[in-house]
Amino acid sequence: MSSDRQAFLLLSINHEHVPLEERERYSLDSKKICHLYQSLNDSGVARESLILSTCNRFELYACLPQTETNGKHLIQTLSSFHELDFMRVNNHSKISGGREAIEHLIEVSAGLRSQITGEAEIFGQVKEAYACCQDHSQAGKVINRVFQKSFQAAKLIRHTTPIGQGQINISNVAVDLSARIFGRLSETSALVIGTGDIGEKTVKALKSRGVSRFGIASHSRERASEVAESWGGTPLSLEDLPSYLNRHDIVIASTDAESPIITKSDLEPLLLKRKDRPIFLVDLGLPRNIDQRCEDFDNVFLYNLDDLARIAEDNLKERQKAIAESKAIAEEKAAAIWMSLRKRELG
Amino acid sequence: MNLLGLEDRQWILLATVVFASSFVLGAYSALKLKRKTGRPYMLGLVCFGWILQTIGLYARGLEYGGCPLANRFELVQFMVWSAICLYIFVGPAFRVSLLGVFTSSFATIFSILSLAIPSWDASERFSIFGDSPWIEMHAALALFSYGVFGILALTSLMYLLQSRSLKTKSVGGLFPFMPSIVDLAQINTRLLWIGFIILTVSLAIGSVYWLSDLSSVDALKLSMTLVVWLAYGILLVIRIRQSISSKRFSWICILFFFAALTSLEAVDQEAPPKEVETPPDALVS
Repeated sequence: MSSDRQAFLLLSINHEHVPLEERERYSLDSKKICHLYQSLNDSGVARESLILSTCNRFELYACLPQTETNGKHLIQTLSSFHELDFMRVNNHSKISGGREAIEHLIEVSAGLRSQITGEAEIFGQVKEAYACCQDHSQAGKVINRVFQKSFQAAKLIRHTTPIGQGQINISNVAVDLSARIFGRLSETSALVIGTGDIGEKTVKALKSRGVSRFGIASHSRERASEVAESWGGTPLSLEDLPSYLNRHDIVIASTDAESPIITKSDLEPLLLKRKDRPIFLVDLGLPRNIDQRCEDFDNVFLYNLDDLARIAEDNLKERQKAIAESKAIAEEKAAAIWMSLRKRELG
Repeated sequence: MNLLGLEDRQWILLATVVFASSFVLGAYSALKLKRKTGRPYMLGLVCFGWILQTIGLYARGLEYGGCPLANRFELVQFMVWSAICLYIFVGPAFRVSLLGVFTSSFATIFSILSLAIPSWDASERFSIFGDSPWIEMHAALALFSYGVFGILALTSLMYLLQSRSLKTKSVGGLFPFMPSIVDLAQINTRLLWIGFIILTVSLAIGSVYWLSDLSSVDALKLSMTLVVWLAYGILLVIRIRQSISSKRFSWICILFFFAALTSLEAVDQEAPPKEVETPPDALVS
């Protein structure tokens, strides 16, 4: 073996094994990342290193001399940097090396290790981290090769499996369906009837997809104002529902009313005024808040809790299949990357 | 005619194979791999098929010294060519997911039909449109508008499928990749405008020719053409006035397109033998 050979190690502190209140101690902004690179340089332990810091994970990829395979020095550097007890950092850190570390990187980049499996944002974050590492001249032959090849593998996973498709929670399913009815959601207006938890989650999901106009309706105007202040939107009184129902394209009902608050006869005159514009009714109430016969109209799309749950479940089944496929790709690609490093006597 | 080593029909056959491949590829990606074929790939493949088809039609045009619109095979091929042309040059502006897949299937079905029925490409061709370049322009524009109405029928079908999937809550398969129903409804209206304007221009050119020689156009052909134009015109007015639901509008667009196709039967009728008509001075000058 060549004397140039080195260990490729990963120190990971992430949401899979460390709770948020502990994880936040390791969170770094760009300035602190600079300082940590400096510390790693000064310690002279790592020949190459890359820091990835997101809200769910702190990860340090490093090339160390071959004798440093347990990551002790990395933990030491990190505990000094954060002024934390060595054992504490040691307990939070998961060390892996070689092929296993590369496989982890591919899975992270492809979104397989994200809290919401398959989300795409992480790929951009890993690429940013790589660019930052290059800016700090910390990327050498190993980091460059491992990351570039891992990006290719992550892209392959995202392009050949349905890992990022189909929502698996009810609020996001409702938002996906809204997009299939209206296209650009920024041009739509949503009405939330009821102020429960699921309504709030749906509002957040709609906001994240560009809906900016919200009406928040409740039996009590005070309660509506209170919630509207926290969620954003216009407070409305449920008693005046017929006067403003027509102004909204997406209606989410989640009250504990015993009888339907929107009936077919309420809807009929409104649809004439809407001309051809569809309306999406999301009934999250139990018992149901919207009369099922409303869906008799061509342009009315009514989904209740069961409908949304069934779609979410179907998507979850698809996603689980995709996870297994993706992991197999990650494993295969990691082995190939690791083999190529060893052939070049870099790993 | 042989061009670059292949007969015109062989070029068109190759184009049909490419259209069929792009349809299979797009449908397989969406249904099996659960992802869209990238727009550049689909566009590239359809463009390639369109170029092959253009060579085939060009070869035929060279052979007969004019626009190849002399029998049903050529009329259908020209309509398919127009629809693909619209998809390539205007389609990207609409940003309709899966339009490439639907257009390829449209091109494949009509191309296979026209290639499979020998009587559509009779060896004895009769020049349907006379020899005036203006009349050829009239005919080409009319068929181009049919291509637009063909795409309109496809986007209407997409609207109906998407709407039905949302209604029946069967949201898997191709549907997640299709555009929203609101977007499709808007696109349908725009396509109807485009098709109707092109057909109107075509008929305006044709009418100058017809007015100069009332016997030059067969009454059946004339009445069929006017019926198609009027039908689409009335549909456009109804749509603008928002007196029709998008669902009904989509059904009508599909029915009108198939009805319009039957009008090609009238266009393809052999005109009574007569001397080659002299084009009106106003048009050739």
